[in-house]
Amino acid sequence: MSNKLIDIVNVSKSFGDNLVLDDLNLYIRENEFLTLLGPSGCGKTTLLRIIGGFETPDTGKVIFDGKDITDLAPNKRQLNTVFQKYALFTNMTIAENIAFGLKIKGKTKSYINDKIRYALKLVNLEGFEDRTPDSLSGGQQQRIAIARAIVNEPKVLLLDEPLGALDLKLRQDMQYELIRLKNELGITFVYVTHDQEEALTMSDTIVVMNQGYIQQIGTPEDIYNEPKNAFVADFIGESNILPATMVQDKLVKILGASFPCVDVGFGRNRPVDAVIRPEDIDLVKPEDGIIEGVVTHLIFKGVHYEMEVTANNFEWLVHSTDMVEVGTEVGIQVNPFDIQIMKKPESEDAEAVTIEE
Amino acid sequence: MMKSVLQRVYLTLILILLYAPIVTLMILSFNKSKSRSKWGGFTTRWYVELFRNDQIMNALYTTLIIALLSALIATVIGTAAAIGIQALRNRFRTFMMGVTNIPMLNADIVTGISLMLLFIAFRFSLGFSTILLAHITFNIPYVILSVTPKLKQTNKSTYEAALDLGASPVHAFFKVVFPDILPGVSSGFLLAFTMSLDDFIITHFTKGPGVDTLSTKIYSEVRKGIKPEMYALSTIMFVTVLLLLILVNISPEEKQGRRREPVKLQRRHKLSRLLFRKIVPVMMAVVVIVGGVFYGSRADNGGNNQVIVYNWGEYLDPDAIAMFEEETGIDVVYEEFETNEIMYPKIQSGAIAYDVVCPSDYMIQRMIENNLLAEIDFSNIPNIKEIGDTYMEMSRQFDPDNKYSVPYTWGTVGILYNKTMVDEPIDSWSVLWDEKYKDNILMQDSVRDAFGITLKYLGYSLNSTDLDELEAAKKLLIEQKPLVQAYVIDQVRDKMIGNEAAIGVIYSGEAIYTQWENPDLQYVIPKEGSNVWVDSWVIPKNAKHKENAETFINFLCRPDIAKMNFDYITYSTPNVGGRALIEDESLRNNPIAFPPAKDLDRCETFRFLGDENDAIYNELWREVKSK
Repeated sequence: MSNKLIDIVNVSKSFGDNLVLDDLNLYIRENEFLTLLGPSGCGKTTLLRIIGGFETPDTGKVIFDGKDITDLAPNKRQLNTVFQKYALFTNMTIAENIAFGLKIKGKTKSYINDKIRYALKLVNLEGFEDRTPDSLSGGQQQRIAIARAIVNEPKVLLLDEPLGALDLKLRQDMQYELIRLKNELGITFVYVTHDQEEALTMSDTIVVMNQGYIQQIGTPEDIYNEPKNAFVADFIGESNILPATMVQDKLVKILGASFPCVDVGFGRNRPVDAVIRPEDIDLVKPEDGIIEGVVTHLIFKGVHYEMEVTANNFEWLVHSTDMVEVGTEVGIQVNPFDIQIMKKPESEDAEAVTIEE
Repeated sequence: MMKSVLQRVYLTLILILLYAPIVTLMILSFNKSKSRSKWGGFTTRWYVELFRNDQIMNALYTTLIIALLSALIATVIGTAAAIGIQALRNRFRTFMMGVTNIPMLNADIVTGISLMLLFIAFRFSLGFSTILLAHITFNIPYVILSVTPKLKQTNKSTYEAALDLGASPVHAFFKVVFPDILPGVSSGFLLAFTMSLDDFIITHFTKGPGVDTLSTKIYSEVRKGIKPEMYALSTIMFVTVLLLLILVNISPEEKQGRRREPVKLQRRHKLSRLLFRKIVPVMMAVVVIVGGVFYGSRADNGGNNQVIVYNWGEYLDPDAIAMFEEETGIDVVYEEFETNEIMYPKIQSGAIAYDVVCPSDYMIQRMIENNLLAEIDFSNIPNIKEIGDTYMEMSRQFDPDNKYSVPYTWGTVGILYNKTMVDEPIDSWSVLWDEKYKDNILMQDSVRDAFGITLKYLGYSLNSTDLDELEAAKKLLIEQKPLVQAYVIDQVRDKMIGNEAAIGVIYSGEAIYTQWENPDLQYVIPKEGSNVWVDSWVIPKNAKHKENAETFINFLCRPDIAKMNFDYITYSTPNVGGRALIEDESLRNNPIAFPPAKDLDRCETFRFLGDENDAIYNELWREVKSK
């Protein structure tokens, strides 16, 4: 990964009394697939619109390729956006839609025609030139919206929940399509979504946001395996978040039982949160476990079974490919490196909030 | 089965109720006979005459230009406003939508009067431009109303997408947003156009002299009885509005239907595109240019040498005006009013500087009392010598020094009766209370006339303000009610001609005409005395062309012109020289037009009794009517 392409410096934005972004700093590198991930109202779309030029930050700057573009009009920026609801021009044909930006730039007719053909091929919709947007399915419309954006050869493509309106199967297909496109075009993607799975699948870098703050920046693996706080842990995948006490380095007391772990540097006898992913819990014979419990729920999920185990007055969520009947007494065992220790949140804002999907 | 039959009958009934009047009008517009009750065969003559009538064609031009310009300007302003409102935050948007909707619900008459007051307050002289401004004003809400729903449907991000692709805001608006809201904009335009075409009330209050739209023209024409040309004109207007409404309703449908039948509607879309992109603009351009040239040329030869005349409807031979313009080079701007009461506030407000006006006796007195009239310089009116001394004397009742007015026409109020329907010659108001003629009596539906007659019958003055006398008159009028067939104004003439009643109260000027139409009719001034009235020319204080006004009055006092006007309007002329020129002896000495002096002995003119007494009269009349 190379140098910074977009640098967002101390950006704040509020609508009325509602502070949406609070002194936010973030940089986006060239050729990166960066995802802004967070629940509704976390400020991710506002941040994208600030980059796109549709909103002006109250304070702070947006630097693009070394130039301050904070006050530059959207039509003067070298980036293009794919909107949540496609935003195709219904009064024009598909070809006219794709040609829109090129015509404004004064390209020749033959150049434009080549580009239209190239773009339609890229999104697998050859021969759709004379159709109207109304006659296309949602997935096709979205692909046209992408084609319309990329023919302008932007340095950055901004995508605002582009797959939100599609059904599951189509969404998965489109995810691969987008990764393919990104690799073929070699441009930077800034992608906004509230769907953690989408983020984990496609991104080089994920930025988890909540209530106008960045909670964590990292690769999908970092974010998943080592969430920095309870919010991230809860928002990314499913997890057991347990109140715990860090007894000393590499030893944590969870619900009264001592678990060995690999974390160091939290001090002695400090209250912390411990995160354990459900698939990392091993159910063993009662006498072999660190804590004993009883299976209280069992659901078949296809790839795995989802179980709830009540142990020390806590409902543990467990994923396993092996089924254990309800009522069975079991022991809970966790590998030391599967326990993630997090500091207790210091401020209100960093605390997990109710997540609306 | 029964139910569906009932449904159909009900529907038919409603359709008949709704459209029977219009169908009647349309049929009558092709009727060869002028009568409203007789079919004289099919003709398109009224349409031909309509298009030959300069005044109506002028009004048509004005109407179209005002409708087009006001709709166009209102569409631009309204669309911009709708976009602005849409961009507001929720609370303000609701508030703004409410504020813009209210003028539509507001009564037209309130809008009209307030606009007039505004124009007067800001010293706008009422005329073409004030009508245009008024129409733009009342059209804007309709445009906003029809554009807003389309804007709400529009996907906001298409505009942003266009910006994103490099379009400037203006380019993005016209390429992307505008096509989406075009159906709303065009139906707003058509709606505004229709509203403007239709409007009478607001135009009536904001128009100035010499400018008429079709609706105000029709209104002033019907005062003297409806001419068949008006049926033709109304038919054309109805058909035009109908076509426009159909157009308005087609355009919003287009979008909904497109999804269902893409191919067919594509074609329809093209058609409406052609319509809105080519035909409408071309039509507008043509009308505006033609109209501009037309008005330009009129303004050119008009110049400053003009005289603005404000007269009763059909109260002057148009040929006389043409002669006057030719002889003097003074351009006549001619404007008509319907009643003294409509004329008075216009003069009082000073919004329009009329040069010469023709009110009735009592109104002249009121205008003198309120200091609205200028003294006439009689050295500019040598022809005043042609006016009979009797009439100058008569004028003293309201213009004591003969300083402010020059008599133009005069007449009496009397009884018109059908010789074949009554047993004895009639000479007294008492027949109006005679049980024999129950349901055969037509009374004037106006407070001063009704009370005047009754007071005279009782032997009092018709300008009485004595409460006992008025109370007695009221009682008598209530007593009379069961005998009266109808309280009417203009219809007395037509009903009497058509033998629909035996006895009617009528103005002498109308009586001559009725006799020509139906020789069985006889007019009499009852022996108790009656009302004698005079309409005279006066010059308002704020007249801008006083000398031209005096030239005009002098011209009308010329015997040949007075005779011309007598022939045209059949109201008695006070012009002795003019009367002498009437060739037909029976007409020259017609006792209706020129009653012997003894008949006029007991006659009085109405006087203005003051606002308080006016109110008393009105209250008593209300009691009579509501009993």
